[in-house]
Formats: sequence, C-alpha cells, structure tokens
Amino acid sequence: MSAIMYPGVQQQRLGGLVTGENVYLPQPARITRISELTSDVRLFDLRFVDPQLAERFVYKPGQFVELSVLGVGEGPFSLPSPPTRRGFFQLGIRRVGTLTNYLFDHIREGDLVGIRGPLGNGFPVELFRGQDVLLLAGGLGMVPLRGLLLYLLDQRELFGRVILLAGFRSPQVVLFRDELESIARRGDAEIHLSVDDTQGLPWSGAVCVVTELLDRVTVDPCRTFAVACGPPVFYKFMLEKVVAMGLGRDRIYLSLERRMECGVGKCGHCGVGYTFTCLHGPVFSYWDALNLPELIYT
Amino acid sequence: MQTLRMAESSLPQLLEVLKGFGKLIGPVEKAPGVFTLEFVEDPSKLRPDALRTILPIKKFLLRPKFAMLRGGPGNGAAPSRENEYGPMVYFGAHACDIHALRILDTLFLGGYPDPYYEANRRNLMVVGYGCFPDEKCFCQSMGCATADTGFDLFLTPLAGRFLVTVASARGDDVVRAAPQLFQPASRRDIQDYLERLREREKAFTLHLDTSDLPYVLELKKDDPVWDELAKKCLCCGSCSMVCPTCTCFNVRDELTADGACRVRTWDACLYRDYALVAGGHNFREHRADRVRNRYYHKQEAFVRQYGMPSCVGCGRCIENCPTGIHVVEVFEAVRGERPVGGLRQQGQAQGKEVQQ
Repeated sequence: MSAIMYPGVQQQRLGGLVTGENVYLPQPARITRISELTSDVRLFDLRFVDPQLAERFVYKPGQFVELSVLGVGEGPFSLPSPPTRRGFFQLGIRRVGTLTNYLFDHIREGDLVGIRGPLGNGFPVELFRGQDVLLLAGGLGMVPLRGLLLYLLDQRELFGRVILLAGFRSPQVVLFRDELESIARRGDAEIHLSVDDTQGLPWSGAVCVVTELLDRVTVDPCRTFAVACGPPVFYKFMLEKVVAMGLGRDRIYLSLERRMECGVGKCGHCGVGYTFTCLHGPVFSYWDALNLPELIYT
Repeated sequence: MQTLRMAESSLPQLLEVLKGFGKLIGPVEKAPGVFTLEFVEDPSKLRPDALRTILPIKKFLLRPKFAMLRGGPGNGAAPSRENEYGPMVYFGAHACDIHALRILDTLFLGGYPDPYYEANRRNLMVVGYGCFPDEKCFCQSMGCATADTGFDLFLTPLAGRFLVTVASARGDDVVRAAPQLFQPASRRDIQDYLERLREREKAFTLHLDTSDLPYVLELKKDDPVWDELAKKCLCCGSCSMVCPTCTCFNVRDELTADGACRVRTWDACLYRDYALVAGGHNFREHRADRVRNRYYHKQEAFVRQYGMPSCVGCGRCIENCPTGIHVVEVFEAVRGERPVGGLRQQGQAQGKEVQQ
C-alpha cells in the first residue's frame, strides 16, 4: 500500500452510513402510508425493506435523509417522526420541484424509494435534559420540529417546560393541527398556534405574525433552550426577539436549508464558510450562524 | 525513506519496469508548449520536464462524468464501477501535485470515505519528478514546494543522474523489481541534491503572503474588493476545472436505454445555479458572492476546517483564466496593497510598494 493514508486522514475516518459502506448507495424503503397534511404537503410513512436495517436505523431529531427515485433524482428531507418510535420513519414533503412532483404524482402506498442516511448533526437534545425547551416553527419548519416535539414528549419526565409557538399563513396550511391540539388538550406541552390571516375559516388560535406569539409566553432565559425552524424571513425577525427575551445566542438553535447533493460533505454545494450544512449542520447555534457569513441571510 | 541514485540513461528501463505496475500516466506535449496528462503506451513520449499540465491528476481519480449507480427504472440501484481504471502509475508528479493529492485524500478519505475516489486512489502509484519554478509558481508560499511523503518514488534530476527517493513499500517493490538500475546515493549526490534545492528556493519570483491570511479574509468579507473582482470574473469555472484541489461535483439522474443511472459530473462553485435550491431560492445569486466564496474556501474555510489551505500554488488558475485574474494579485488587492486589476510589474513580487 502506498503512503495514501496520512495519519490525520486515518483519524478523521468515520466509515459508512447506517444505510451502507457506499455512502452514495440508497437502500430500498417501502412507502407504507401517505397522508395529506395540506394541499401541497404530504406525510410519507416509510419502512426499510431490510428488516435488520429498519431496526438499526436510529437517528436524532433534526437529522435528515436523502430520498431518491433512480432516474428522477435525489433530495434531502427532514424527519418529522420521533426516533423514539422504531422500525419506521416519516418524511413531510412539500411539492416544490422535479422529484417532489414525481412523489406526489406517481408514488403510491406500497411503492419503493431509495433512502440514504441518517445525515447531519441533529438538534443537541443532550443539552436539553432538565431544561425548558421553546420550539419556534414557521410554516414547513414545523416538519422537523414535530419530530423533536414528539421526541421530547415521548420522554416527558426528562425535560422541563415544552413550549411550541408555530405560525402559518392560514388555517388550511396548519401542519399536524389535530395532533397539536390533542397534545395541548392533554397538557403535555404549551402550544400556541397563529395564522397570518384566517381567510374566513374557523380558527381558535391567534391571528398575528408568528413573532407576536412570543409576547404571550414568559420563559426563564437561564434554563431555556430555543429551537427555531422556518424560512429566512422568519429567522430575521424571530431570533433577535428571542435574544431580547434574555436567551444567550448559544441557547438558540436553528435548522438551515441549503442545496445538498451528496449529504456527506464531499460535493461542496451546501458549503458555508468552513462548514458543510449537510455534515456540520443543518442545526447551528444562532451564534455560530451569525459568525458564518451567508449562513442565515443571503 | 531511502535515497538512491539512478543514471539518467536508465530512465527508459525504469519506465518499462513501471509499466508492469499499472497503466502509465504522464505529461505529454499535446501541442507546442501545451502539456496534458495522458495514458502513455510509448514511454519515450513522456515529458516529465513539463512544468504544468492543463488538468491535474484528479481527472484520473474522479472522471469528469461517470455513473455512480445504475439500475432499472425506479429502484434497484447498484454501484457502478465505470469510474475505476485499475492499477495506474502516475509518472512526473511535481511536489505541488503530491500535496494536492494529500488535500484530496483529506477530503475524500477522511470523514465518510468516498468509495469511487478510494478505489482509484488505492490503485495509484505516484512517481514524482523534480521541477524548477516559473513566474506562475508560488508553491513555496503555500508550503508545497517540496514533498517528503505522499509518493512512492521521487526522481530529482542532477547532472547525468537522478537522486531517487523511496517513500513507500510499493516504491521499494519497484526498486526490487530492477535492482540493477539503482545504487546507494553517495555523499556527493546528496550534496548536489541539496545544492539544487537551494538554487530552486532562490528561483521563485512569485510570492503570496499567507501570514494571517484567513484572519485578513474574515475582516474583509464585506469589502468592495469582491464587487470589483466580480466585474472582471466571468464565472466560467476554468480556474476550478484546472485546480488540482477543486473537486466539487454535481449529482443528477439520467435515463438510459435499459434503465437509469445516477451521474456525477464536475461542478464549480462559480456557476450561477451552484447554491440554487428547489423552490427557486439562490443562496449565492450574485457573482461577487460566488467569487468571494471560492477564494474564501481556498484560503480561509479550508484552513479553519483542516488546518491548511486548499491551494498548492501550482499556478494553473493563473495560466488558464481568460480575463487574466491572478490569484496572488487578488489577495494583494484584498489586503489593500494594490487596486483590483492593477497590473503586475517587474520587481514587485510582494506587491508591497505598488502605488495607487
């Protein structure tokens, strides 16, 4: 063997993904259920065909997978299912491009797709133990935060207060509405939902921009972690308001979107500064995000 | 590491021996003064004295386009081996090329190993060849002017003979395959070799001040110099294609006669749709953002991630930029030592005395 394995390289070697040594090779997973969340967002339930892989596939809330249909394309999707529930996983997908159009138009329950992962760092849930957790969701940002919310509630006694503030454009596009209302009723978490506009539809929650929901809660800034997920404009107004509540910028985490192709820090597309969003993210502390140029706002 | 001597006249025999270890790759003169790396059947065509080939060795490790997976329509994807070349011998690697391989190895073999890169990399024997710098070489500034590891054999031309450095067991295999070609290096050989190194050190005319460069870049991230540079850069990606450490790639699916494949092609961060996501948002829409990103990745981001820049100072980007952007001048402009696009003048190697 030639001198290709420099000591430093050897130390940094992680090996393959849960889905295989070849990090680019997807494993077949069956779509077991498709539910409509809104007119353009669907929840897909999946199970790996290989039963051992299905059991072995453990992930952290906030991690993601690459889903592909060979011949159509591949894309990154976050996991709205809690890793505390084994054997299956879910993906919340909005119809937005070539691959997702194919998933909506051609993929039915029982069909197979390819999955690689889990990828990315996930939310730092180990820090949240014994602490209050404030979840802030804007629109589709509810998808990864639903995985975190259920994860926290599945181990309810390990955490302090769990508060969710989620804002949507209108009542038709509220994600996981029944489930969130049921959680609120049983008192497991404090849940505040808002819409920008009711559009004349029945709505029991707030009618305001999502940042105004922050005025309805008081938190102890020294024992609270905030986790935010939403579009860039959501971060722009939300995060500084959380800082104004007294939270340190290292107690606020956010999950970011980027063009991801390989998912393993090789192809370069999601690179921001010295980080690859797919590898070192997609979850960053607000402090780190502010110090990586281009990371939050472009 | 072992040090041997080989007569200059023995080179053709050594090349024949090397052919037994794999397909021979080396620089050949494609057109007068234009050198490319090619598979070589006839070793007499090799021009190891060529200073730089248009494309570096990366093209034999990861082809510009290859299918990673093939399968029937829909599913059943299986890895494709069409990127693999089998055993290869890269003859004529300069020190900068060897350092570039170290950077590629860090990226592709560290973290989650890339199986397509690794398959070819493990099959690559590297035989270095001593060079002398021209006005575009700044490997000295990048700490890449010499290599004492990362190759199997290294030939340094001295008068009438080569000093041969053996840095791996595979290099030793070559020596054992033709022991009659080699003698132990004498004290005189070593002395001449050191003398050559000293002369070479003095021959560099282009210097990049890398001291605190990552810090300077961090401070200058909002500087108008990037907008100025964006007016000159076409974002054509030539610099990325010829760069020995630029390996960004695109993944896309294609339909074939008998199914589908997942194709991997070279890409460049300067291309407009590089950071475009589904839904139409482009995270680096402006040319200045993309230009800045490329220079930051080379000299700031990579340093923070791996403790070294991802530039070896080979000069390929200087040689191939259609609008004459000169990487050393760019960083001088970033430091505020010259205007953007200011012409490089004789005797101002460091650019420090350049007048506005």
